[in-house]
Amino acid sequence: MTAPRPYALLAEITHRCPLHCPYCSNPVAASLCEAPRRRPQGGGSSNAELTTEEWRRVIREAAALGVLQIGFSGGEPLARRDLVELIRAAREAKLYTNLITSGIGLADDRVRVMRDAGLDSIQLSFQSDEASLADEIAGTRAHERKLAVAAKIRAAGIPLSLNFVIHRHNIDRLTQMIELTKALGAERVELANVQFYGWAFRNRAALLPTREQVDRARDIATAAKARLAGKIDIFYVLPDYYGTRPKPCLNGWGQRYLTVNPVGDVLPCPTASSAIPDLRFENIRTRDLDWIWRESESFNRFRGTEWMPEPCRSCPQKEIDFGGCRCQAALLTGNAANTDPVCEFSPNRSRVDAVLCHINSSTGHAPDWTYRTNPTALPVSV
Amino acid sequence: MRTTAISDLARPSLAKGVRLQFDSTTGESVLLYPEGIVELNETAHEILSHCDGRTLVEIVYELAKEYEADSNALAADVRDTLSDLRRRKLIEFK
Repeated sequence: MTAPRPYALLAEITHRCPLHCPYCSNPVAASLCEAPRRRPQGGGSSNAELTTEEWRRVIREAAALGVLQIGFSGGEPLARRDLVELIRAAREAKLYTNLITSGIGLADDRVRVMRDAGLDSIQLSFQSDEASLADEIAGTRAHERKLAVAAKIRAAGIPLSLNFVIHRHNIDRLTQMIELTKALGAERVELANVQFYGWAFRNRAALLPTREQVDRARDIATAAKARLAGKIDIFYVLPDYYGTRPKPCLNGWGQRYLTVNPVGDVLPCPTASSAIPDLRFENIRTRDLDWIWRESESFNRFRGTEWMPEPCRSCPQKEIDFGGCRCQAALLTGNAANTDPVCEFSPNRSRVDAVLCHINSSTGHAPDWTYRTNPTALPVSV
Repeated sequence: MRTTAISDLARPSLAKGVRLQFDSTTGESVLLYPEGIVELNETAHEILSHCDGRTLVEIVYELAKEYEADSNALAADVRDTLSDLRRRKLIEFK
Protein backbone atom coordinates (compact mmCIF):
# COMPACT_ATOMS: atom_id res chain seq x y z
CA MET A 1 0.00 0.00 0.00
CA THR A 2 1.03 3.62 -0.41
CA ALA A 3 2.90 5.03 2.53
CA PRO A 4 1.57 8.20 4.15
CA ARG A 5 3.99 10.89 5.28
CA PRO A 6 5.43 10.58 8.78
CA TYR A 7 5.11 13.46 11.25
CA ALA A 8 7.45 12.60 14.09
CA LEU A 9 10.78 10.89 14.61
CA LEU A 10 11.80 9.45 17.97
CA ALA A 11 15.59 9.50 18.04
CA GLU A 12 16.76 7.05 20.70
CA ILE A 13 20.33 8.22 20.58
CA THR A 14 21.68 5.95 23.33
CA HIS A 15 20.45 3.21 25.63
CA ARG A 16 22.96 4.20 28.30
CA CYS A 17 21.26 5.71 31.35
CA PRO A 18 22.26 6.77 34.88
CA LEU A 19 18.84 5.68 36.19
CA HIS A 20 17.62 2.11 36.69
CA CYS A 21 13.84 2.47 36.62
CA PRO A 22 12.16 -0.95 36.64
CA TYR A 23 9.47 0.30 34.23
CA CYS A 24 11.89 1.22 31.45
CA SER A 25 10.57 0.33 28.01
CA ASN A 26 14.05 -0.23 26.59
CA PRO A 27 14.82 -3.79 25.56
CA VAL A 28 15.95 -5.99 28.46
CA ALA A 29 18.57 -7.68 26.30
CA ALA A 30 20.13 -4.56 24.80
CA SER A 31 23.74 -5.00 23.85
CA LEU A 32 23.90 -1.64 22.22
CA CYS A 33 26.00 0.64 24.25
CA GLU A 34 29.35 1.39 22.78
CA ALA A 35 29.79 5.11 22.53
CA PRO A 36 30.76 6.01 18.98
CA ARG A 37 34.16 7.36 19.93
CA ARG A 38 35.19 3.88 21.01
CA ARG A 39 34.44 2.37 17.64
CA PRO A 40 37.39 0.91 15.83
CA GLN A 41 38.29 2.92 12.77
CA GLY A 42 36.55 1.67 9.68
CA GLY A 43 34.97 -1.08 11.72
CA GLY A 44 31.42 -0.49 10.52
CA SER A 45 30.14 -2.51 13.45
CA SER A 46 26.36 -2.61 13.56
CA ASN A 47 26.49 -2.88 17.35
CA ALA A 48 27.97 0.55 17.95
CA GLU A 49 25.94 3.70 18.44
CA LEU A 50 25.46 5.88 15.39
CA THR A 51 28.02 8.61 14.94
CA THR A 52 27.18 12.32 14.91
CA GLU A 53 27.43 12.33 11.12
CA GLU A 54 25.11 9.34 10.81
CA TRP A 55 22.51 11.05 13.02
CA ARG A 56 22.80 14.22 10.94
CA ARG A 57 21.96 12.15 7.89
CA VAL A 58 18.98 10.54 9.65
CA ILE A 59 17.68 13.99 10.60
CA ARG A 60 18.02 15.36 7.06
CA GLU A 61 16.35 12.30 5.55
CA ALA A 62 13.52 12.43 8.09
CA ALA A 63 12.82 16.08 7.29
CA ALA A 64 12.82 15.28 3.57
CA LEU A 65 10.25 12.54 4.24
CA GLY A 66 7.91 15.07 5.85
CA VAL A 67 8.80 14.71 9.54
CA LEU A 68 8.03 17.92 11.47
CA GLN A 69 8.94 16.92 15.02
CA ILE A 70 11.87 15.13 16.61
CA GLY A 71 12.16 13.80 20.14
CA PHE A 72 15.65 13.07 21.44
CA SER A 73 15.30 10.22 23.86
CA GLY A 74 17.10 7.11 25.07
CA GLY A 75 18.28 5.84 27.55
CA GLU A 76 19.49 9.22 28.67
CA PRO A 77 20.16 11.44 25.65
CA LEU A 78 22.41 13.74 27.71
CA ALA A 79 24.88 10.84 27.84
CA ARG A 80 25.74 11.71 24.22
CA ARG A 81 28.33 14.49 24.18
CA ASP A 82 27.20 15.55 20.69
CA LEU A 83 23.59 16.22 21.72
CA VAL A 84 23.89 19.95 21.07
CA GLU A 85 25.19 19.29 17.57
CA LEU A 86 22.22 17.00 16.93
CA ILE A 87 19.79 19.65 18.23
CA ARG A 88 21.40 22.16 15.89
CA ALA A 89 21.03 19.77 12.96
CA ALA A 90 17.36 19.23 13.82
CA ARG A 91 16.75 22.96 13.98
CA GLU A 92 18.51 23.48 10.65
CA ALA A 93 16.12 20.90 9.20
CA LYS A 94 13.29 23.05 10.70
CA LEU A 95 12.13 20.26 13.03
CA TYR A 96 10.35 21.04 16.28
CA THR A 97 12.89 19.75 18.76
CA ASN A 98 11.99 18.09 22.01
CA LEU A 99 14.33 16.60 24.62
CA ILE A 100 13.03 13.73 26.73
CA THR A 101 15.39 13.42 29.66
CA SER A 102 15.98 12.44 33.28
CA GLY A 103 17.87 15.71 33.63
CA ILE A 104 20.91 13.99 35.11
CA GLY A 105 23.95 15.59 33.53
CA LEU A 106 22.26 18.86 32.61
CA ALA A 107 24.58 21.60 33.80
CA ASP A 108 23.63 25.30 33.67
CA ASP A 109 25.68 26.17 30.65
CA ARG A 110 24.49 23.11 28.74
CA VAL A 111 20.83 24.16 29.15
CA ARG A 112 21.59 27.56 27.66
CA VAL A 113 23.70 26.13 24.85
CA MET A 114 20.90 23.74 23.92
CA ARG A 115 18.35 26.57 24.00
CA ASP A 116 20.55 28.69 21.75
CA ALA A 117 21.00 25.72 19.40
CA GLY A 118 17.21 25.75 18.92
CA LEU A 119 15.77 23.33 21.48
CA ASP A 120 12.01 23.98 21.59
CA SER A 121 10.91 22.05 24.65
CA ILE A 122 12.02 19.69 27.42
CA GLN A 123 10.18 16.78 28.98
CA LEU A 124 11.74 16.05 32.35
CA SER A 125 11.02 12.71 33.99
CA PHE A 126 10.19 12.36 37.66
CA GLN A 127 9.68 9.10 39.52
CA SER A 128 7.54 10.57 42.29
CA ASP A 129 6.98 13.87 44.08
CA GLU A 130 9.40 13.26 46.94
CA ALA A 131 12.96 12.05 47.18
CA SER A 132 12.79 8.81 49.17
CA LEU A 133 10.26 7.03 46.97
CA ALA A 134 11.54 8.63 43.76
CA ASP A 135 15.12 7.54 44.43
CA GLU A 136 14.01 4.05 45.37
CA ILE A 137 12.23 3.75 42.01
CA ALA A 138 15.12 5.24 40.04
CA GLY A 139 17.59 2.98 41.83
CA THR A 140 19.85 5.96 42.41
CA ARG A 141 19.83 9.36 44.11
CA ALA A 142 18.37 11.56 41.43
CA HIS A 143 15.33 13.43 42.74
CA GLU A 144 17.03 16.43 44.32
CA ARG A 145 19.16 16.89 41.22
CA LYS A 146 16.05 16.84 39.06
CA LEU A 147 14.50 19.62 41.14
CA ALA A 148 17.60 21.73 40.53
CA VAL A 149 17.51 20.91 36.82
CA ALA A 150 13.85 21.97 36.56
CA ALA A 151 14.81 25.36 38.00
CA LYS A 152 17.63 25.71 35.45
CA ILE A 153 15.24 24.91 32.59
CA ARG A 154 12.79 27.54 33.87
CA ALA A 155 15.57 30.08 34.18
CA ALA A 156 16.59 29.42 30.58
CA GLY A 157 12.98 29.99 29.51
CA ILE A 158 12.52 26.62 27.81
CA PRO A 159 8.96 25.22 27.89
CA LEU A 160 8.86 22.43 30.46
CA SER A 161 6.75 19.32 30.74
CA LEU A 162 7.01 16.87 33.64
CA ASN A 163 6.66 13.19 32.81
CA PHE A 164 5.61 10.74 35.51
CA VAL A 165 5.31 7.04 34.81
CA ILE A 166 2.52 5.82 37.09
CA HIS A 167 2.51 2.37 38.69
CA ARG A 168 1.47 0.50 41.81
CA HIS A 169 4.07 2.19 44.02
CA ASN A 170 3.42 5.84 43.14
CA ILE A 171 -0.16 5.94 41.82
CA ASP A 172 -1.50 6.98 45.24
CA ARG A 173 0.52 10.21 45.04
CA LEU A 174 -1.08 11.74 41.93
CA THR A 175 -2.29 14.81 43.83
CA GLN A 176 1.21 15.50 45.14
CA MET A 177 2.71 15.00 41.66
CA ILE A 178 0.36 17.63 40.26
CA GLU A 179 1.33 19.93 43.15
CA LEU A 180 4.99 19.46 42.26
CA THR A 181 4.21 20.36 38.64
CA LYS A 182 2.67 23.62 39.84
CA ALA A 183 5.51 24.34 42.23
CA LEU A 184 8.13 23.86 39.49
CA GLY A 185 6.26 26.12 37.07
CA ALA A 186 5.86 23.53 34.32
CA GLU A 187 3.27 24.15 31.61
CA ARG A 188 2.39 20.53 31.11
CA VAL A 189 2.39 17.20 32.91
CA GLU A 190 2.08 13.66 31.64
CA LEU A 191 0.79 11.15 34.16
CA ALA A 192 1.16 8.01 32.14
CA ASN A 193 0.27 4.64 33.57
CA VAL A 194 3.08 2.24 32.84
CA GLN A 195 2.79 0.26 29.61
CA PHE A 196 4.19 -3.24 29.79
CA TYR A 197 7.12 -3.56 27.41
CA GLY A 198 10.82 -4.13 27.97
CA TRP A 199 11.78 -3.99 31.66
CA ALA A 200 8.22 -3.09 32.62
CA PHE A 201 6.95 -6.35 31.12
CA ARG A 202 9.47 -8.28 33.16
CA ASN A 203 8.42 -6.37 36.30
CA ARG A 204 4.70 -6.40 35.61
CA ALA A 205 3.65 -8.20 38.80
CA ALA A 206 5.41 -5.55 40.88
CA LEU A 207 4.17 -2.57 38.87
CA LEU A 208 0.55 -3.19 37.91
CA PRO A 209 -1.76 -1.17 40.17
CA THR A 210 -4.94 -2.57 41.68
CA ARG A 211 -8.38 -1.71 40.32
CA GLU A 212 -9.12 0.35 43.41
CA GLN A 213 -5.95 2.41 42.89
CA VAL A 214 -6.76 2.92 39.21
CA ASP A 215 -10.32 4.11 39.89
CA ARG A 216 -9.15 6.58 42.52
CA ALA A 217 -6.36 7.92 40.29
CA ARG A 218 -8.75 8.45 37.38
CA ASP A 219 -11.04 10.56 39.57
CA ILE A 220 -8.13 12.64 40.84
CA ALA A 221 -6.83 13.24 37.32
CA THR A 222 -10.26 14.19 35.99
CA ALA A 223 -10.86 16.66 38.81
CA ALA A 224 -7.38 18.19 38.46
CA LYS A 225 -7.82 18.62 34.71
CA ALA A 226 -10.98 20.62 35.28
CA ARG A 227 -9.49 22.61 38.16
CA LEU A 228 -6.29 23.56 36.34
CA ALA A 229 -7.72 24.07 32.85
CA GLY A 230 -5.94 27.01 31.22
CA LYS A 231 -3.07 26.81 33.75
CA ILE A 232 -1.46 23.38 33.34
CA ASP A 233 -2.14 20.86 30.59
CA ILE A 234 -2.66 17.50 32.26
CA PHE A 235 -2.37 14.36 30.15
CA TYR A 236 -3.51 11.28 31.99
CA VAL A 237 -2.77 8.03 30.18
CA LEU A 238 -5.09 5.22 31.25
CA PRO A 239 -3.74 1.79 32.11
CA ASP A 240 -4.88 -0.21 29.11
CA TYR A 241 -5.11 -3.57 30.91
CA TYR A 242 -8.04 -2.08 32.84
CA GLY A 243 -9.73 -0.84 29.67
CA THR A 244 -12.09 -2.73 27.39
CA ARG A 245 -10.86 -1.32 24.09
CA PRO A 246 -7.24 -1.10 23.01
CA LYS A 247 -5.28 2.11 22.64
CA PRO A 248 -4.94 3.41 19.05
CA CYS A 249 -1.27 2.52 19.14
CA LEU A 250 0.91 4.90 17.06
CA ASN A 251 -2.25 6.04 15.27
CA GLY A 252 -1.68 3.00 13.13
CA TRP A 253 1.51 1.13 12.27
CA GLY A 254 3.72 3.05 9.85
CA GLN A 255 1.28 5.96 9.63
CA ARG A 256 2.72 8.90 11.57
CA TYR A 257 5.72 7.84 13.63
CA LEU A 258 9.10 6.25 13.26
CA THR A 259 11.86 5.48 15.71
CA VAL A 260 15.58 5.15 15.08
CA ASN A 261 17.36 3.28 17.86
CA PRO A 262 20.95 3.85 19.06
CA VAL A 263 22.52 1.52 16.49
CA GLY A 264 20.45 2.78 13.56
CA ASP A 265 17.66 0.22 13.33
CA VAL A 266 14.52 1.93 12.07
CA LEU A 267 11.44 0.83 13.97
CA PRO A 268 7.73 1.51 13.48
CA CYS A 269 7.52 1.54 17.29
CA PRO A 270 10.31 1.82 19.91
CA THR A 271 9.42 -1.47 21.58
CA ALA A 272 8.97 -3.50 18.39
CA SER A 273 12.55 -4.76 18.17
CA SER A 274 12.29 -6.74 21.41
CA ALA A 275 8.56 -7.51 21.42
CA ILE A 276 8.30 -8.86 17.86
CA PRO A 277 11.29 -11.13 17.33
CA ASP A 278 10.16 -12.47 13.95
CA LEU A 279 10.18 -9.03 12.33
CA ARG A 280 13.47 -8.00 10.72
CA PHE A 281 14.28 -4.30 10.90
CA GLU A 282 16.32 -2.31 8.42
CA ASN A 283 19.29 -0.21 9.41
CA ILE A 284 20.15 3.27 8.21
CA ARG A 285 23.75 2.11 7.66
CA THR A 286 22.57 -0.02 4.77
CA ARG A 287 19.39 1.72 3.53
CA ASP A 288 18.10 5.27 3.34
CA LEU A 289 15.20 6.31 5.53
CA ASP A 290 12.84 6.97 2.62
CA TRP A 291 13.13 3.41 1.34
CA ILE A 292 12.76 1.94 4.82
CA TRP A 293 9.62 3.99 5.53
CA ARG A 294 7.96 3.25 2.19
CA GLU A 295 9.19 -0.14 1.09
CA SER A 296 10.49 -2.22 4.01
CA GLU A 297 8.65 -5.30 5.14
CA SER A 298 8.78 -4.16 8.77
CA PHE A 299 6.88 -0.93 8.04
CA ASN A 300 4.41 -2.56 5.65
CA ARG A 301 3.56 -5.71 7.62
CA PHE A 302 0.85 -4.04 9.74
CA ARG A 303 0.19 -0.90 7.70
CA GLY A 304 -3.48 -0.22 6.93
CA THR A 305 -6.17 -2.78 7.69
CA GLU A 306 -5.50 -5.59 5.20
CA TRP A 307 -3.40 -7.63 7.64
CA MET A 308 -6.13 -7.72 10.27
CA PRO A 309 -7.62 -10.98 11.48
CA GLU A 310 -11.07 -11.28 12.99
CA PRO A 311 -12.51 -9.81 15.14
CA CYS A 312 -10.73 -6.65 13.88
CA ARG A 313 -11.38 -7.24 10.19
CA SER A 314 -15.14 -6.77 10.46
CA CYS A 315 -15.04 -4.38 13.42
CA PRO A 316 -16.42 -0.84 12.97
CA GLN A 317 -13.65 0.38 15.30
CA LYS A 318 -10.82 -0.80 13.09
CA GLU A 319 -10.02 2.67 11.71
CA ILE A 320 -10.26 4.11 15.23
CA ASP A 321 -8.02 1.83 17.30
CA PHE A 322 -6.19 0.04 14.43
CA GLY A 323 -6.45 -3.26 16.28
CA GLY A 324 -4.47 -1.86 19.22
CA CYS A 325 -0.82 -2.56 19.88
CA ARG A 326 1.20 -5.08 17.83
CA CYS A 327 3.84 -5.39 20.54
CA GLN A 328 1.24 -6.18 23.19
CA ALA A 329 -0.35 -8.80 20.93
CA ALA A 330 3.07 -10.39 20.42
CA LEU A 331 4.03 -10.31 24.11
CA LEU A 332 0.72 -11.68 25.40
CA THR A 333 -0.35 -14.06 22.65
CA GLY A 334 2.87 -14.91 20.84
CA ASN A 335 1.57 -13.51 17.55
CA ALA A 336 1.91 -9.83 16.65
CA ALA A 337 -0.90 -10.12 14.08
CA ASN A 338 -3.52 -10.96 16.68
CA THR A 339 -6.04 -8.45 17.99
CA ASP A 340 -4.59 -6.63 21.00
CA PRO A 341 -5.74 -8.91 23.87
CA VAL A 342 -6.80 -5.85 25.88
CA CYS A 343 -9.82 -5.63 23.55
CA GLU A 344 -12.99 -7.11 25.03
CA PHE A 345 -13.65 -8.82 21.67
CA SER A 346 -10.24 -10.51 21.55
CA PRO A 347 -10.40 -14.29 21.98
CA ASN A 348 -7.31 -13.80 24.19
CA ARG A 349 -8.82 -11.27 26.60
CA SER A 350 -8.80 -13.96 29.29
CA ARG A 351 -5.00 -13.68 29.42
CA VAL A 352 -5.26 -10.05 30.52
CA ASP A 353 -8.07 -10.87 32.94
CA ALA A 354 -5.97 -13.61 34.52
CA VAL A 355 -3.21 -11.08 35.23
CA LEU A 356 -5.70 -8.59 36.68
CA CYS A 357 -7.33 -11.28 38.77
CA HIS A 358 -3.99 -12.27 40.26
CA ILE A 359 -3.02 -8.67 41.08
CA ASN A 360 -6.38 -7.82 42.62
CA SER A 361 -6.72 -10.96 44.71
CA SER A 362 -3.19 -11.26 46.07
CA THR A 363 -2.71 -9.93 49.56
CA GLY A 364 0.18 -8.11 51.08
CA HIS A 365 3.05 -6.51 49.26
CA ALA A 366 3.74 -6.64 45.55
CA PRO A 367 6.83 -8.65 44.69
CA ASP A 368 10.19 -6.94 44.33
CA TRP A 369 11.21 -5.65 40.95
CA THR A 370 14.38 -6.09 38.96
CA TYR A 371 16.16 -2.83 38.33
CA ARG A 372 17.03 -1.91 34.77
CA THR A 373 20.69 -2.46 34.10
CA ASN A 374 22.74 -0.74 31.49
CA PRO A 375 23.51 -2.54 28.26
CA THR A 376 26.72 -4.49 28.62
CA ALA A 377 29.69 -3.16 26.73
CA LEU A 378 30.67 -5.15 23.71
CA PRO A 379 34.32 -6.01 23.39
CA VAL A 380 35.96 -3.81 20.83
CA SER A 381 37.18 -5.98 18.02
CA VAL A 382 40.42 -4.98 16.34
CA MET B 1 -19.44 26.57 23.66
CA ARG B 2 -18.71 29.40 26.04
CA THR B 3 -15.88 31.71 25.07
CA THR B 4 -14.75 34.78 26.86
CA ALA B 5 -14.96 37.84 24.64
CA ILE B 6 -11.68 39.06 23.20
CA SER B 7 -11.02 42.75 23.61
CA ASP B 8 -10.41 44.91 20.53
CA LEU B 9 -7.15 45.96 22.11
CA ALA B 10 -5.89 42.46 22.90
CA ARG B 11 -2.56 41.62 21.26
CA PRO B 12 -2.53 37.96 20.23
CA SER B 13 0.75 36.09 19.98
CA LEU B 14 1.83 32.47 19.80
CA ALA B 15 1.94 30.80 23.20
CA LYS B 16 5.27 29.80 24.69
CA GLY B 17 6.70 26.75 22.98
CA VAL B 18 4.48 27.08 19.90
CA ARG B 19 6.07 27.58 16.48
CA LEU B 20 4.49 28.60 13.17
CA GLN B 21 6.11 26.62 10.40
CA PHE B 22 5.70 26.07 6.67
CA ASP B 23 5.08 22.39 5.87
CA SER B 24 6.79 21.70 2.57
CA THR B 25 4.96 18.38 2.17
CA THR B 26 1.52 20.01 1.97
CA GLY B 27 2.44 23.58 1.11
CA GLU B 28 0.34 24.71 4.10
CA SER B 29 1.29 26.17 7.46
CA VAL B 30 1.31 24.24 10.70
CA LEU B 31 1.59 25.06 14.37
CA LEU B 32 4.09 22.88 16.19
CA TYR B 33 4.09 22.44 19.97
CA PRO B 34 5.21 19.74 22.42
CA GLU B 35 3.85 16.41 21.14
CA GLY B 36 1.43 18.11 18.78
CA ILE B 37 0.84 19.50 15.30
CA VAL B 38 -2.08 21.57 14.05
CA GLU B 39 -2.55 22.03 10.32
CA LEU B 40 -3.77 25.53 9.63
CA ASN B 41 -6.25 26.60 7.00
CA GLU B 42 -5.48 29.68 4.94
CA THR B 43 -7.59 31.97 7.11
CA ALA B 44 -5.83 30.88 10.29
CA HIS B 45 -2.46 31.23 8.59
CA GLU B 46 -3.23 34.77 7.41
CA ILE B 47 -4.44 35.81 10.85
CA LEU B 48 -1.44 34.32 12.66
CA SER B 49 1.00 35.94 10.24
CA HIS B 50 -0.39 39.27 11.40
CA CYS B 51 -0.04 38.46 15.12
CA ASP B 52 3.20 40.37 15.56
CA GLY B 53 2.30 42.64 18.43
CA ARG B 54 -0.64 44.33 16.72
CA THR B 55 -4.02 44.63 18.44
CA LEU B 56 -7.06 42.72 17.27
CA VAL B 57 -8.56 45.86 15.78
CA GLU B 58 -5.37 46.57 13.83
CA ILE B 59 -5.22 42.99 12.53
CA VAL B 60 -8.82 43.18 11.29
CA TYR B 61 -8.12 46.55 9.66
CA GLU B 62 -5.04 45.21 7.85
CA LEU B 63 -6.77 42.05 6.66
CA ALA B 64 -9.88 43.95 5.50
CA LYS B 65 -7.63 46.26 3.47
CA GLU B 66 -5.59 43.42 1.95
CA TYR B 67 -8.59 41.33 1.01
CA GLU B 68 -11.01 44.20 0.31
CA ALA B 69 -13.39 42.47 2.68
CA ASP B 70 -16.16 43.71 4.95
CA SER B 71 -14.49 44.38 8.27
CA ASN B 72 -17.49 43.39 10.40
CA ALA B 73 -17.72 39.93 8.87
CA LEU B 74 -13.96 39.61 8.99
CA ALA B 75 -13.82 40.62 12.66
CA ALA B 76 -16.19 37.76 13.50
CA ASP B 77 -13.99 35.27 11.62
CA VAL B 78 -10.85 36.52 13.31
CA ARG B 79 -12.45 36.28 16.75
CA ASP B 80 -13.69 32.75 16.08
CA THR B 81 -10.29 31.58 14.91
CA LEU B 82 -8.43 33.23 17.78
CA SER B 83 -10.90 31.88 20.35
CA ASP B 84 -10.41 28.39 19.02
CA LEU B 85 -6.61 28.72 19.14
CA ARG B 86 -6.74 30.17 22.64
CA ARG B 87 -8.93 27.32 23.84
CA ARG B 88 -6.22 24.96 22.62
CA LYS B 89 -3.57 27.09 24.40
CA LEU B 90 -1.77 27.79 21.13
CA ILE B 91 -1.99 31.55 21.42
CA GLU B 92 -2.15 34.01 24.26
CA PHE B 93 -3.15 37.66 24.58
CA LYS B 94 -1.02 40.44 25.91
